[in-house]
Amino acid sequence: MSFSHKGAAAIFAAALSFPPTCPAFAADDAPQKAEACLACHGSGGNSTDPAMPSLAGQPAKFISLQLFMFREGNRKDPQMTPMAANLSNAEMNELAAYFSKQKPAAPSHKTAPENAAAGRHLTEQHHCVQCHGSALLGLQHIPRLAGQQFAYLRAQLRGFRAKTRADFDGNMTSAAELLSEKDIEILADYLSGLTPLRD
Amino acid sequence: MVPAPFRPFISLASALVCALIADAAQAQAPAAPPSWQQGRSAEQEKSSLHPFAIEVTGKSAKQLPVDKLKVPEGFKVEVWADGLPGARSMALGSKGTVFVGTRQLKDVYAVVDRGGKREVKTILKGLDSPNGVVFSRGTLYVAERHRITRYDGIEGQLDNPPQAKVVIDGLDPQQQPGHFWKFLALGPDGKLYYNVGAPGNIVMPAYFQAAISRVDPRTGIIENYALGVRNSVGFDWHPQTKQLWFTNHGRDWLGDESPNDTLHVATRKGQHFGYPYCHQGDTLDPEFGKNRDCKEFTPPTLKLGPHIAPIGMRFYAGKMFPAEYQNNIFIAMRGSWNRTVKHGYNVTRVSFDADGKAKMEPFLTGFLLDEKADPPMWGRPNDVMVMRDGSMLVSDDQNGIIYRVSYAKK
Repeated sequence: MSFSHKGAAAIFAAALSFPPTCPAFAADDAPQKAEACLACHGSGGNSTDPAMPSLAGQPAKFISLQLFMFREGNRKDPQMTPMAANLSNAEMNELAAYFSKQKPAAPSHKTAPENAAAGRHLTEQHHCVQCHGSALLGLQHIPRLAGQQFAYLRAQLRGFRAKTRADFDGNMTSAAELLSEKDIEILADYLSGLTPLRD
Repeated sequence: MVPAPFRPFISLASALVCALIADAAQAQAPAAPPSWQQGRSAEQEKSSLHPFAIEVTGKSAKQLPVDKLKVPEGFKVEVWADGLPGARSMALGSKGTVFVGTRQLKDVYAVVDRGGKREVKTILKGLDSPNGVVFSRGTLYVAERHRITRYDGIEGQLDNPPQAKVVIDGLDPQQQPGHFWKFLALGPDGKLYYNVGAPGNIVMPAYFQAAISRVDPRTGIIENYALGVRNSVGFDWHPQTKQLWFTNHGRDWLGDESPNDTLHVATRKGQHFGYPYCHQGDTLDPEFGKNRDCKEFTPPTLKLGPHIAPIGMRFYAGKMFPAEYQNNIFIAMRGSWNRTVKHGYNVTRVSFDADGKAKMEPFLTGFLLDEKADPPMWGRPNDVMVMRDGSMLVSDDQNGIIYRVSYAKK
C-alpha cells in the first residue's frame, strides 16, 4: 500500500494494516498521536503481547531514536516502518515524552528458577549492566530491558547476532555475536521476568 | 592472550553514521566494536565511559534551560534558530543565508533571516555525513564522508537546489570506522582544506589519514598539508599572518588527565604534529612512541585540556566585540566523555599577550550541569561563526540549535 499521505492519515492507514493479534485499546489519557501505538504496544505502552515491546518507562531519547531510525530506513519492520514514515521530529518527541512518563507494569513473564542466577551472570559477563544500568532500566538512548517482553527481547538479540537488526553504532552487533542461542534464551527469560524498579 | 573479551552493550552516537549506512553492507564481515572503544586496556573493557548520543530528532529551545547560558558582561546570548537536528559546521552565504552541515544525519540546512524571524529549510538530503560546508562566490561546497561536492548558485534557489557537481571523490576508500566526517574550509590560496582523521582511536594511519589535506577545486589535485593530526574538525587562517590554525583531538583511554587536546599552527606545508607517536607535543604513546622522540614533531601552541573536544574555531575579526577581541580565537569545546569528571561544554576564548603567548578562558558557559552526571550537560557547542555585523553564531549539535552572541556598548 502507499504511504504518500501525511501525518494522521498515514497513521490511520497504517493502523488498518495491523494484524489481528493487535486488539484495539481504549486510549487512556494518551495524546491522540499515541492512540495508534497502543493497539500493539498496550495501554499506557505496557504490552501484553510477548512479541511486542513495552514502551512504558523507556527513556525518551531511546524512543525518539528508534522512531527516527524506522523513518530513515535503517531499522526496518513491516509494521513500524509505515508507522514512522510520516512522523515529524516534533511528533516523535511528543510520543517519546508520553511513553517515557508511563509507569512500567509488573512483568507477567516468570523467569525459570534455574535462569535467575545464570541470567544475572550473563548480564555481567557481557557488560550489559554497564550501559543499561545495574537494574537494567536503560538511560538516554539505551533501552530498559527489565520487564521487557520475552519474545521481543529474544528476537532482538537474535537479530543483532544475525546483523539483521540495525545497530546504532555497532556495539550491540559485536556484543550479540558472542552469544550462543542458549545464552539468548537465558538472557531473554531472565530480563523479561525482572520487575522494572530502581534498586 | 585471552580470547577477545565481550564488549559492553552500549549503543552510542560516535558512529551513528556507520549504523545509518552499514546495516546491510556488513552482512558477512565479523562485527567490530565501535571505533571509540579501540585502544582500551583489558581493565577498561569494564569502563562505563561512553560518548553521548545527540538528539537525532532535535529539541526545541523551549524545552531547554537556555537561561543558564552565560557570557561576559556587556555581551548577550540568545537562541537564534532551532529545529536543525545535529547542526554542526556553519557557512555564511553572500546574501546572508547560514548553511549548516550535520554529521550523524544526512541533511544540510539553510537558515534564512526574514525580518528577525529565522526560517529553517532542509536543502540537501540523503548525503553521507555532510559535516563540512563552505560558501564562496555563489557556490556552496559540501564535504561528505567520501567526497566534496559543489552546488553552484544555490543561494538563489534554496527551494529547488541544483544538482551536486563532484569536486573530488574517493576520499574514504577504506570505509574507515572512525573519524570519517570532514571539516571543510577555504584557504587564502583558494584551495579547499579538509581533514581525514585517524581511522581509530590509536592506530597507524595510512598516508592520507590523520592529516589535513587540500584540494584545488579547479584541478582536483590533492596534497597532504599537515600530518600527524589525529582528528581536526575545526580550522581557520590568521587574519594577518594567513597561517593555518587548527584544533586537534588527542587519543582516548590514557586516563582522565592525559593527553590534552590541542591548538596548533602550521607555519608551512608538510609539518608533522605527532600522531600516533607523540601526543600534546611532549608525551610519547605507550605503544607507538617506542624508539621515537617528541622532538621529531611540531608541538602545539596551546594545550586545551584532556578530552575536552575542541571542534569549530574561528579568529574574530568582526567589528562588534571590544577591541581586545580582535584576532582572538573562539573555540567550541564540545566537551569530554572519556573522563570521569567532565569538562568543556563551552565556547572558549584564546587571546595572546604582547609576546604572542596564548591564554584561554571560558567565554560562553552554562551547558554543563553536573560534571559527574551521565549525561553531564544539556547542550554541546560545535561550531562558531562570525556574522557580517560582528555577532557570533554558535551551533549546538546535541539539540539542533544555533545561538547568537552579540555585544552592546554600555
